[in-house]
Amino acid sequence: MSQKQLFELNNVNKSFTKGKEEITIFNGLNMSIKEGEFLAIMGPSGSGKTTLLNLLGGVDRPTAGDILFRGSPINNLSEGQLSKWRAEHIGFIFQFYNLMPMLNAARNVELPLLLKKLSRSQRRNSVDTALKLVGLEARAGHQPSELSGGQQQRVAIARAIVSDPTFLLCDEPTGDLDRATAVEILEILQLLNREFGKTIVMVTHDPAAAEYASRCLHLDKGEFIEKDLAA
Amino acid sequence: MGSLISQIQAVVAMNLRSLPQRIWMSLATLFAVAIVVAVLLAFLSMANGFQQTVKNTGSESLAVILRAGSQAELNSVITRDQVNLLSEAPGIVRGDKGPKVSAELYVTVDGIKRSSQTEVNLPLRGISESGISLREGFTIIEGRMFEPGKNEIVVGSSVLREFSGFELGNSLRFGKTTWTVVGVFEAGASVFASELWTDVRTLQSQFNRGSSAQVIRVALQQPGDIGAITEYIDKEPRLNMDVKTEAEYYQEQAKAMSDMIFFLGWPLAIAMALGALAGALNTMYNSVAQRAVEIATLRAIGFRGVSAFLGTLVESLVLAFIGGLLGTLAAFLLFDGISASTLGGSFTQIVFSFELSSDAFVQGITLAMIIGLVGGFFPALKASRVPVMVAFSVDP
Amino acid sequence: MTDTYLVLKNLTRNKLRLVLNCFAILIAFLLFGALGSLQHAFTAGIELSADNRLIVVNKINFTQPLPIAYVNKVRAIDGISKVTHANWFGAYYQDARRPMVGLAVDGDSYLDIYDNILLSDGGREAWLKERQGVIVGERMAHMHGWKVGDRIPISSNIFSQADGSTVWDMVISDIFRDKEPSADTNFLLFHYKYFIETQTFGKDWVGWMILTTEDSSLNERVAKAIDTNFANSSTETDTSTEKAFNRSFLEQVGSIGLIITSVIFAAFFTILLIVGNSMALSIRERTREIAVLKTIGFAAPRIFGMVLAESISLALIGGLLGLGVAVMLINGASSNPQLQSMLPNLIVPPSILIQALGYMLALGLITGIFPALRAMRLNTIDALNRG
Ligand SMILES: Nc1ncnc2c1ncn2[C@@H]1O[C@H](COP(=O)(O)OP(=O)(O)O)[C@@H](O)[C@H]1O
Ligand SMILES: [Mg+2]
Repeated sequence: MSQKQLFELNNVNKSFTKGKEEITIFNGLNMSIKEGEFLAIMGPSGSGKTTLLNLLGGVDRPTAGDILFRGSPINNLSEGQLSKWRAEHIGFIFQFYNLMPMLNAARNVELPLLLKKLSRSQRRNSVDTALKLVGLEARAGHQPSELSGGQQQRVAIARAIVSDPTFLLCDEPTGDLDRATAVEILEILQLLNREFGKTIVMVTHDPAAAEYASRCLHLDKGEFIEKDLAA
Repeated sequence: MGSLISQIQAVVAMNLRSLPQRIWMSLATLFAVAIVVAVLLAFLSMANGFQQTVKNTGSESLAVILRAGSQAELNSVITRDQVNLLSEAPGIVRGDKGPKVSAELYVTVDGIKRSSQTEVNLPLRGISESGISLREGFTIIEGRMFEPGKNEIVVGSSVLREFSGFELGNSLRFGKTTWTVVGVFEAGASVFASELWTDVRTLQSQFNRGSSAQVIRVALQQPGDIGAITEYIDKEPRLNMDVKTEAEYYQEQAKAMSDMIFFLGWPLAIAMALGALAGALNTMYNSVAQRAVEIATLRAIGFRGVSAFLGTLVESLVLAFIGGLLGTLAAFLLFDGISASTLGGSFTQIVFSFELSSDAFVQGITLAMIIGLVGGFFPALKASRVPVMVAFSVDP
Repeated sequence: MTDTYLVLKNLTRNKLRLVLNCFAILIAFLLFGALGSLQHAFTAGIELSADNRLIVVNKINFTQPLPIAYVNKVRAIDGISKVTHANWFGAYYQDARRPMVGLAVDGDSYLDIYDNILLSDGGREAWLKERQGVIVGERMAHMHGWKVGDRIPISSNIFSQADGSTVWDMVISDIFRDKEPSADTNFLLFHYKYFIETQTFGKDWVGWMILTTEDSSLNERVAKAIDTNFANSSTETDTSTEKAFNRSFLEQVGSIGLIITSVIFAAFFTILLIVGNSMALSIRERTREIAVLKTIGFAAPRIFGMVLAESISLALIGGLLGLGVAVMLINGASSNPQLQSMLPNLIVPPSILIQALGYMLALGLITGIFPALRAMRLNTIDALNRG
């Protein structure tokens, strides 16, 4: 596994204006994420975990400072460029799965492929592969409402990896699941990290979930307390 | 848990208080209903105004006699001899000056309609003193009566309102002759108010009509009874005439136009009401969907399905009712009293005013309430059947 | 799967709402199609009249007569190529309550000017030879089941003969069509000579004159020349183009155009309110999904396009259905003989179809633009955090 830097955050500031009040979340945050890492981020509610994921995912922009992706800044890309960049490099996994209710599992997985120039059969292959990887090939034709929470989250993971992104951003992916189901999901993530070399950044509340990561950062009041879990 | 009544009261109040959450959908329905009602009332007040004007014209105690088959005063021709023969007919009121008979001439002249600035047909009626005495409610409200033998005209008050050029003192040219407007008359919101009147003999000579007339009006001894005259005409080979009471004559004249307004207005209003109904159903189904958890929670703690049903139905009815009132108000402000004119049976203009009757008001509100009832009923049924389980299923 | 599939899935996800919205739009376009056709039927006659035809009527009013001598006097005026005249007969067949259009005309010159009237071979000669001859429009003949050679009694609700009779015996010399298939042929023409010699209302007058100018650019000059020529005479004239005459005649009935336009406007406004709000609600309900699409990498303009495509599809589905119903309705109504005689030109004209398509697109755009903008500008962070 290569040990090159995937992300580098230099002196990142982030604040929100709520009415007249200004809330500062990060003040001079520095961090780096290596390619191939499985990074867990923990911390109390409101500490800025989701905000950090949003910054990494190019969904939000820092108030000041630079975010470098493979050495080049992403914070000055236009909205359109960011959309393209996200489509190419990132797979998102959300706490509440966020599947399209009117599409069946296979079509939900196929969604990101609409952003690529692929033939119909190429798309079908990718979808099949992704669904097989999460063990849901038998449920391809089911609507989300016909699937359990764990199954929905597996469809969401298949959707996140179908276009073979560089890294995955997961915001409390097991937050809504029971222990056994959570383990299934975490094992899939670990597999994706170990066997397919996907860099993963996962926000979680659950120390047991963090165990699956190779490194864990504790976010508190916008600062990191590092804890290496690399096995 | 109180009685059913207090349950229903509580749910209805809750529904109405949560209306602001659905403000845009609710307003859309409300306005849709208002527009539908306003359109209906526009047509109804038009039909009503037109009919009122015509009804005010026709008297049951007068008969209108025209040449057979001519249908309208404009077409008919009646000779002096025929007039004399008719004066002998039974069933006609006879006063000190002989039988109450009015031979009238009816010619068409041009006027300019104010609203469109286009030329329209106006009736110029030649009439005698006895003819005027037959018209109850005829009064000169400005200037004076025309003098027989002079080119003088009195104009109906509606003519002044709708058409330009007929102001008191104005000169009018018809062909080579010049006429002066010497008075304005009122004839009780009738068709006559849309006419120009002058002395019958003067009109006969100026329009080269010799001694012929076009229509005869007679006062009936027995209001509504034209039997005696009809019999007399049938027996007299020199007379080939149609007799009707004046009321009947004007009803027939107005029928085509009233029918058209009616047959156009109601289908249009119903079609639009169906559109608004679709909107109401949309809004109310949405309301039920939004309140599903709330409804289920109430059911869980013991409220009955019927309270959810009525809560939804009342919400819909309230929206429709406000919409109906708004539409009525709009119709009242926009249409009531506005003056319009159209072609009557004699090919001349009849001026009338849009008149919103209390009947129309009831019909408008009824239409609104039907939209509210149907638009609320099916969603209400759905509301009463929301499974209690919904209260426990959390949807992100 | 394509974007089209996504749009379709979004459109049909709430079937009830789709049906209700489609129905509301259907109503709007049904009204548009039906009322538009009605208005077209009222005004079609105007549009068909030739540009260089003028009508000369008595200045007092067009129901007042003109001296027959005027025909030759007018013929002498510069810029005029042909002149003819006509009298309104007040015709009816058996039932006085059902009047029909019948004119007494000078056959030869009338057919010269109205060259849109097509007679069969030899029909013109046959008619001109027959003193009691009448030519009947195809539609009128069809309605009464008349054939060439039939003797028909035509009554007048205005005129009578010396013996007091109001019925004229006529023989059908020919049945005519119009060059323009959609034009009205629900009228009859018979000879002025037969009319004027038998009726009792004087011998030397006509109802009105029709003339053609050498070129339509001369219309105004010719009209003025005619009216000044007869100014201050015992019978003054009022000359206007046939188009203007027909239009002002129609105006007499009332502002039909204004009424129809107002109703259509009210209907569209209502449907705009209903569908616009429903569309906005649909998009609001989908806030989260749209945020996910954007996060995944769907660009804002693409999302904008998808929402707009949805609202336009909705307008097109409802609109085309409504237009279809309108076409069926109008076709059904126009085959009713009574309506046909009142509104001979009752069809759904192509211009209405094209306009309707335009309005469908407009409706789709207006109802979709705000939700689409909202979707495009949607802040994904806010939308997702709210879950
Ligand atoms: N769009 C926003 N506008 C204003 N404040 C925000 C916004 N997003 C997040 N915040 C605030 O920033 C802080 C961190 O939020 P978040 O990153 O969601 O925390 P976490 O995910 O760690 O619970 C919170 O106090 C939150 O209220
Ligand atoms: Mg969070």
